[in-house]
Amino acid sequence: MKWTALLLPALFLALFGYALFKKVRLYDCFTEGVKGALPLVCSLFPYLAAILMLSELFEQSGLSAAITQALSPVFSFLGIPKEIGGLVLLKPFSGSGSTALLSELFTTYGADSYIARCAAVAYGSSETVFYISAVYFAGSKKNLAKPIAIALFANLLSVILGCFLCRIM
Amino acid sequence: MNVIFPIIFLIAAAIFLISDPEGFLPALLTGGEKAATLSLALLASYCIWLGFFKVMEQSGLADNLARRLKRPLGALFRSSDGEALKCAGQNMAANFLGLPGAPTPLGIQATQKFLAAKNGYAADMLFVLNATSLQLLPTTAIALRAAAGSASPADIFLPTLLATLASSLIGAGLVYLTRRRA
Repeated sequence: MKWTALLLPALFLALFGYALFKKVRLYDCFTEGVKGALPLVCSLFPYLAAILMLSELFEQSGLSAAITQALSPVFSFLGIPKEIGGLVLLKPFSGSGSTALLSELFTTYGADSYIARCAAVAYGSSETVFYISAVYFAGSKKNLAKPIAIALFANLLSVILGCFLCRIM
Repeated sequence: MNVIFPIIFLIAAAIFLISDPEGFLPALLTGGEKAATLSLALLASYCIWLGFFKVMEQSGLADNLARRLKRPLGALFRSSDGEALKCAGQNMAANFLGLPGAPTPLGIQATQKFLAAKNGYAADMLFVLNATSLQLLPTTAIALRAAAGSASPADIFLPTLLATLASSLIGAGLVYLTRRRA
């Protein structure tokens, strides 16, 4: 997958070349854009902090493990190996946590095992729903129950489908 | 979030109270620390991408792209707000290419514009599309498998793409079906 590394430098080269051709004052323009970075991070910070503290509590209290345990019959009914139940549950909360869990699963079961492949597909086809909702809707008063429920449901379906596809592909 | 946050927080805090009262503060501090390091990492990547997008804007490329995509995006988000659609379109493109950190600032801008125009449908749609992972290449999972010594780390590409495509379609379909009829 080396060619993916080419994408970024090629993208910048193409855009900056085009911008120079269009007589854009590149330095002034680039710095003007960067100006927005700090205020953006500041506006996100409180929501990030709350979500990350919550996901830490969720994990370290053992609540996450207990729910995984309780749900393991449901998972196996849906064709999701019980070993990756924790990953499926953690992913909506924490990107870094689930990344750590994923590489742990790789070391425990071997990177080419059925479990590891399911875990990789589950990881790659789902998203950190709560984190994204906190960031995108930062400070809005909108009712988020519906979009979050839809996103979680669609993510669960993609994990089920992914595990099924791993069995046949 | 005003429902989910207290529920999970209270249950977890109660568990700590019973089983491990000393572990409570360290857990919260770890969360805060992660927020601080993550913010720095985000700041670094926003610097790159906000600069990049500004250049895209001023060179006229963003407008060019937006003109071409106006019709399909307008139909998808049921919006005719050119500025918001431009951000949303760039957000989806950045997602698709898997440019790390790039989709978020665009997504936030688009969401704020949609919400300011009282178009909750478009904001929901954009959020669900982002939250069902519209990525062409699952780069992190592939890199981790390669690091763990996999013989063919990229063989999860197809199942992941199919699964994530299905979830995005289902998510978008559900947003469409549950919309409030005007």
